[in-house]
Amino acid sequence: MSDNKFSRRDFLKITAFGAAAVAGTRLVKEAQASSSSPTGEHQWAMVIDQSKCTGCNYCTMACQAHNDIAPQNQWNVVSPSGEIGGHQTYIARPCMQCTHAPCVEVCMVGASYYRDDGIVMMDYDKCIGCRYCEVACPYQARVFNWEKFEGPNPLVPEWGSPEVERRPRGVPEKCSFCYHRIDRGLKLGLTPGLDMDATPACVNVCPTRARLFGDLNDASSEVSMLLNEHASFRLRDDLATGPRVYYLPADPKEMEVEKQS
Amino acid sequence: MITKFLAKFPALNSWVLWLGFLGLLLVIGLASGILVFWKGLGITNLTDLVPWGFWITLDLSSIAVSAGAFSLCAAVYLIGLKRYEPVARTATFIGLIGYTMALLSLMLDIGRPDRFWHAVVYWNTHSLLWEVTMCVCLYLIVLVLESMPIIANFEWLRNRFPKIAGWMSHAHHYAPYLAIAGLCLSMLHQSSLGAVYGVLKARPIWYKPEMSVLFMFSAIVGGISLTVFASMLSARLTLKARINDSLLERLAHFVGWALVPYLYFRAWDWLAMTYTHQPGRTEGLEVLTKGPLSFNFWVAEILLGTILPMVLLLKQQTRQNHFWRMVALAMVVGGVIAYRWDVNLSGLLVVVSYLPGESTVAYTSYFPSLVEIGAGLGVIAFGLTAFSLGVRYLRVVDHRFFEKDHETVKVEVPKTVPA
Repeated sequence: MSDNKFSRRDFLKITAFGAAAVAGTRLVKEAQASSSSPTGEHQWAMVIDQSKCTGCNYCTMACQAHNDIAPQNQWNVVSPSGEIGGHQTYIARPCMQCTHAPCVEVCMVGASYYRDDGIVMMDYDKCIGCRYCEVACPYQARVFNWEKFEGPNPLVPEWGSPEVERRPRGVPEKCSFCYHRIDRGLKLGLTPGLDMDATPACVNVCPTRARLFGDLNDASSEVSMLLNEHASFRLRDDLATGPRVYYLPADPKEMEVEKQS
Repeated sequence: MITKFLAKFPALNSWVLWLGFLGLLLVIGLASGILVFWKGLGITNLTDLVPWGFWITLDLSSIAVSAGAFSLCAAVYLIGLKRYEPVARTATFIGLIGYTMALLSLMLDIGRPDRFWHAVVYWNTHSLLWEVTMCVCLYLIVLVLESMPIIANFEWLRNRFPKIAGWMSHAHHYAPYLAIAGLCLSMLHQSSLGAVYGVLKARPIWYKPEMSVLFMFSAIVGGISLTVFASMLSARLTLKARINDSLLERLAHFVGWALVPYLYFRAWDWLAMTYTHQPGRTEGLEVLTKGPLSFNFWVAEILLGTILPMVLLLKQQTRQNHFWRMVALAMVVGGVIAYRWDVNLSGLLVVVSYLPGESTVAYTSYFPSLVEIGAGLGVIAFGLTAFSLGVRYLRVVDHRFFEKDHETVKVEVPKTVPA
């Protein structure tokens, strides 16, 4: 009996130490991998100028058509965000494509993942629909397909034609920076942000050019230059999610000029 | 009138009526479940703001009140409190049922139940939910192995396939190893279920380290309470269940003491730690203390769920009184379930805005739809049916049952004190 007890204790010790060592090394490696910044050649970012945004919602409608989104689901949401100098301001909110995205960290099956260029992607074929990502996102950027989207999209063809497959019932979906337009454009030698065929639909359609898109790794891109020259902010920067969507704060003087033009 | 009716049909004894009642609930549950798989989650009252509701509470609660299995098995096989072995048997069987209930409600809750196996095949080791899934799946295997000797008690199996029944009883030989595995896996996932909420920065009322501690603590308290309560209730209702009351009284006494530190941690958690005026956190606390969850929090969770049973179980007279002990234990289980509900909704009902320059917090609401309740009742009815059958046919609650009954193991058994 006493032998038995001794060996049980040994067994416990060895197993515990072994498991802890393996798990420890793996976790440390993983943690290092996740904290290092992405290494892709391009680092896409969006800049939204609050002085220019009039809250017209064209971006949302183009997005709904190009990505074939059900009317009750919106990937891009435009909300009023207070007044400044007598001018109403708006915040247009696509997915922030966070550098440290809570949705990617929490996804149990790895259906949410980072691309090298910083885009946070959804693998709709892997997702089991647990909605942990939806609960984790501080920006409410994810919408769940509670129902199957059937029938015609009311915004097609006026606002564009679908470029990606409809998502099935039972998975959450979100803005993807129109990765399909970027990838196709790059293959054709185009520059996302400059050539419309390689640029997200919401940026193309904006009538006041409040939305700009480009590569942060390219110092001469419009987004890099704007962010160099102007003060900018990101939504809920306090959460250290590292959004790739930057906002230029509303400037009443500039808004006066915009109004007259 | 009912007695007259029953006298006419002697076959309709209370056992048959009970099974009939459970059968009705099972049919309702099955119909609701089929409706959910067919029509999708659109027929629930879940929304993009409250994506987790009744089923998640049911899932969390089933796992929590199954914690008697690992804690009592650890007490018996690792700490060496051998005399609690028959109670650990009951707890193990309840654990097996509870984890099956949890998996059933999860199958209802996920949007793509056809891909449930992705959770095991595709790994994201960063995700708390991945860790929980892994532990729950492995622990379910442990529970099945631990339950083998119990299922081997099925008389039909013993007569028809005595060899198989013999092998199944033999699994008892590995009980200490299974208890170690169960302890590790349970400590991991019982606390990680709290951490699932605790790591989310987006929900300030959840974002704190003590979530995992509280989940762990409440699970142990609730799990042992349910085991003792179910044993006492079975013994009252059927002669198939035999209990040694001194064992159950001691466990109830332990629960009473365990509620003291639990209440201390819970009070510290809610009334001191969250007193920060951080946007979303203060509002989440107010949803609990004076908002839509206040009755649930003050009455179901704190007063009836913790303070009153603590007094009833620590006071000798009420603890020794079967009725009051059972009432107290049932209230503890109810309090743990209320805690899971409160945690889930206090985070989801408060929506923290991402907009600068707007009011920081908005409120939303949630109440489960009929289909959600129906399917949930079905899951609960499954658990009750399984336990009832276990008591009747597998001697799940039988404190005369000791290790010597397993032919393969020879262990000296201490004499029990008669009840």
